[in-house]
Amino acid sequence: MKEKDKVVGTPISRIDGIAKVTGKAPYSMDHPVKNPAYAILFKSTIAAGTIQDINTAAAEKAPGVLAVITHKNVLKLNVKGGLRGGALLQSPEVDFFGQNIGIVVAETFEQARYASRLVSVTYDKKEPKVNFDKVADQARLPKDKEKADAERGDAKAALSQATIKVEEVYETPIEHHHPLEPHAAIAEWDGDKVTLYSSAQIVNGAQSAAAATLNLKPEQVRIVSPYIGGGFGSKGGQWANLALTAVAAKQVNRPVKLALTRQQMVNSVGMRQHNRQKISLAATADGKLTALAHEIVTHCAINDEFVEPCGDCSKIMYETPNSLITYRVVPMNLILPTYTRGPGKSTGSFALESAMDELAYKLKMDPIELRIKNEPERDPSNGKPWSSRTTVQCLREGAKAFGWDKRKPEPRQNSQGNYWIGYGVSAGTYPAHQRPTSALVKLKRTGDNVTATVELAAADLGTGTYTILTQTAADALGLSIQQINMKIGDSDLPPAAGAVGSVGAASYANAVNDACQKITDELVAKSGKQFFARPTAAQLMRSEKLTEYQTRVDSKAPESAEEYSAHSFNANFAEVAVNKSTGMIRVNRFLAVTGAGQILNPKTARSQIIGGNVWGIGMALTEESVVDPRWGNFVTRSFADYHVPSNLDIGNLDAIFINEKDEHVNSLGVKGIGEVGIVAVAAAVANAVFNATGKRVRDLPITPDKVL
Amino acid sequence: MRPFTYTRAKDATSASKLLTGNPNAKFLAGGTNLLDLMKEDVERPSTLIDISELGLSDIKTISSGTNKGGISIGGLGKNTDAANHPLIRQNYPLLTQAILAGASGQIRNMATNGGNLLQRTRCPYFYEVAMPCNKREPGTGCGAKEGINRMHAIFGWSEKCVAVYPSDMAIALAALDAVVNVRNASGQERSISMADFHRLPGDQPEKDTILTHGELITSIELPRNNFADKSYYVKVRDRASYAFALVSVAAALETSGNKIVQARIAMGGVAHKPWRALKAEQLLVGKEATEANFKLAASAEMADAKPLEHNAFKVELGNRSIVLALQMAMNGGKA
Ligand SMILES: Cc1cc2nc3c(=O)[nH]c(=O)nc-3n(C[C@H](O)[C@H](O)[C@H](O)COP(=O)(O)OP(=O)(O)OC[C@H]3O[C@@H](n4cnc5c(N)ncnc54)[C@H](O)[C@@H]3O)c2cc1C
Repeated sequence: MKEKDKVVGTPISRIDGIAKVTGKAPYSMDHPVKNPAYAILFKSTIAAGTIQDINTAAAEKAPGVLAVITHKNVLKLNVKGGLRGGALLQSPEVDFFGQNIGIVVAETFEQARYASRLVSVTYDKKEPKVNFDKVADQARLPKDKEKADAERGDAKAALSQATIKVEEVYETPIEHHHPLEPHAAIAEWDGDKVTLYSSAQIVNGAQSAAAATLNLKPEQVRIVSPYIGGGFGSKGGQWANLALTAVAAKQVNRPVKLALTRQQMVNSVGMRQHNRQKISLAATADGKLTALAHEIVTHCAINDEFVEPCGDCSKIMYETPNSLITYRVVPMNLILPTYTRGPGKSTGSFALESAMDELAYKLKMDPIELRIKNEPERDPSNGKPWSSRTTVQCLREGAKAFGWDKRKPEPRQNSQGNYWIGYGVSAGTYPAHQRPTSALVKLKRTGDNVTATVELAAADLGTGTYTILTQTAADALGLSIQQINMKIGDSDLPPAAGAVGSVGAASYANAVNDACQKITDELVAKSGKQFFARPTAAQLMRSEKLTEYQTRVDSKAPESAEEYSAHSFNANFAEVAVNKSTGMIRVNRFLAVTGAGQILNPKTARSQIIGGNVWGIGMALTEESVVDPRWGNFVTRSFADYHVPSNLDIGNLDAIFINEKDEHVNSLGVKGIGEVGIVAVAAAVANAVFNATGKRVRDLPITPDKVL
Repeated sequence: MRPFTYTRAKDATSASKLLTGNPNAKFLAGGTNLLDLMKEDVERPSTLIDISELGLSDIKTISSGTNKGGISIGGLGKNTDAANHPLIRQNYPLLTQAILAGASGQIRNMATNGGNLLQRTRCPYFYEVAMPCNKREPGTGCGAKEGINRMHAIFGWSEKCVAVYPSDMAIALAALDAVVNVRNASGQERSISMADFHRLPGDQPEKDTILTHGELITSIELPRNNFADKSYYVKVRDRASYAFALVSVAAALETSGNKIVQARIAMGGVAHKPWRALKAEQLLVGKEATEANFKLAASAEMADAKPLEHNAFKVELGNRSIVLALQMAMNGGKA
């Protein structure tokens, strides 16, 4: 195939776009099943204690009700089956406000919801731990070995001797993922097998967790998830609602549809935890870091632990002889936190990159120069060479494109009418991995027309997986994208990695490419001929007059990848306007420069990056899930209260990709872009707010009251 | 949602009759507030009387009576239409600004003017039935007073309730001395000034207004005034669109030279009703329109504020917003 005909690297529009905007793409609740019943969860109204009595009589008699399921009559489930967050109705214990305590199944959704209001519950209440400020001092070392204290050199000693330092505490609040498609599932049993139509970022993970929880074998559970209305980590691990839908369907002996309401999303499917992060930096007068300590205190669920890796950026971003990263965690009566976009890196980088800005200001150094000055040759955490690292390039190219030279180093120097204008910069990173993924390619020829079906249990969160895999397969087989039928999102297909942690594109695209190369190799061998130039599979199907041929690979990262430290890198530039009277902040311009290896499709990649940027701007300015410190309920339960940025909050968003060829990360040189787009965004905005106003806000979100 | 019956009313009087006969019946206009509250089990009407097709949506010049020469807006007209009508844009740009500062385009297309006045508080404790709330369920206590009250009142609250009234439109109407016309089941009409229409919570936070059950808002009258070229609506909120006010200020001035002849200031996001800043207004009349005088007036008004644990910032924000609104009004609304 001629280079100019290649579709990889071209900005084609999403191939599933038309199906989506015309409503033809089925999301979880859209799959047709025969005679479904509708279920709704009902939830605890205390945060800690035991259900003493649960009276379901009135609900059972309500019109249309088929079943009311509580801990008293629910099927026995395996609470250690791998679904996150407990709340499987297996005991009367209540560990957080809004924990599932029952299900109503009825003929219609409205009937189910109405009946759920008729259930009355009495509790033995315990004093809940729901006020982070009050319990933070009880935080202990996490059980997770990855979160053990990590020290190089002696950071504390270096800090105590240093004269130039920054020591500050940065707070990031609880956030929720709030994908537009709330978690929902349809369960349909066929004998002892169940099909679950439900959005899953990790199709095979959902299958094994649901199966284990339901005391079934994985092959008895099928997950169907062709389209996902966003997930952002909340549909990575799966939650009780998935198994409970299957339970409801079993108990009423009919297909059941169960969707969470928006209000229920806040205590059903995880959250990002509140992080209290102390950053201590020490430097020489010319800006060399002599110590970096990042000490994190956070919370987890009463009976289960999850701790965001907030220290990850601090581990590898800068060269310093003395480094310390510590985590402490306190169990609270709140739902289990989980992976949330840019887990740890987005929040940790807010602390680190704000502190770097504070240090630069103290040193009277340009914050870009300070970062470049501390650029590490190798990964400081393990001494491995970088597979490739683009931080300096991202900063330099970004500075030029953004007009960084127009920034005034001192705050309150740039006034436009009733607004202070400020510029901020930050740098970030996210690891790049390729995870084991299998793929099956089936070729078919009718006359001269060759088509391919490619199958793998991959997930498309709405980000373009279908599109980039179709592009990859088209080039690798010598076909046009119209000749490719991409089948993903079904556990009956060959097992694949999840669309999580930015591993999706690398794992899937390499697997698809490997499968296409393998099928070509096999066809070459089959032909028994010698070729001057490698023919395409399509050509071989024609020349060898084959009508059907298929092959499958189990693909994984090259072993040599282990020898390198592989990451995506970015630099962010923000210009904000802060209203001098009201403190309202608008992001006039935002530029993200990203080095993420081979970009398979610049259009979908750009959408990923600017989408991540908007998330980061939300983290910086608007998003916060607020807990009542007495009762543990979230008071921000809908989009009226949980503020994501609106169009008016943000002016121009721009994304630049570094033209980078990473030879080591994997055979296609693909790194991830899903997560890196949010990393360090909040810091760039906060740094711009400081540059505008002289107010250093270390406690997100930066609402108007904080900059008055 | 609880089961309910649904009836479409044919005319205003029969609508009121249908309602009066049933203490648990409610009018349904655009439904953008009522239906949300029903889904969350906060409002529990047994009957909905759909009034959306009664007409009562005209915007016209008033030809007789005390407000002759003013403009009348139909109670069932849509927010979008009220905001964009040339008579409103020309004569009451303050109202246009306030309406357009609220909700979103889609919601304003559904929302009616009467429904907007009667929208209920956004207090999260009111919205979640598992929480105590005297407004929703008298006698259960106020969840917000010692709870999360960043969004709550700094003026006129009571031990029973610290909620704020959320409408933007009503804040402009209060500044413009609007009058609300209502009609009951026996066809009797009465006119209520905006100042009296909404209540402070006192011992009965469950009552938002002085309306009696069955009274229908037929129209809103805007008296003639000379504020059109010196008015401005400031809305401070956590994001630029689609958020309720932390503090808002509707300001209108009539000047002679640089001297203030008349001043109107109403505040939103600070009380259980549109808060007329009467102290500030009085201080401004007869004074020069200077920043110093604006600041004096603002601080005199805000001196009476009684903030709660999480909303002390509203005092400073109120001060600044009054000054900003007055300055912007003097500039004819241009920054
Ligand atoms: C997400 C969201 C954000 C919003 N943001 C804002 C904002 O920023 N600022 C703002 O001001 N508003 C905001 N709103 C509120 C919106 O303006 C109101 O919901 C709307 O104005 C209500 O009008 P409606 O016709 O839909 O009323 P309905 O919901 O139909 O009725 C509301 C109440 O008024 C009664 N009623 C209606 N019409 C009459 C009448 N003619 N006579 C007597 N009683 C009547 C009903 O019985 C009901 O009790 C927001 C709403 C939402 C959902």
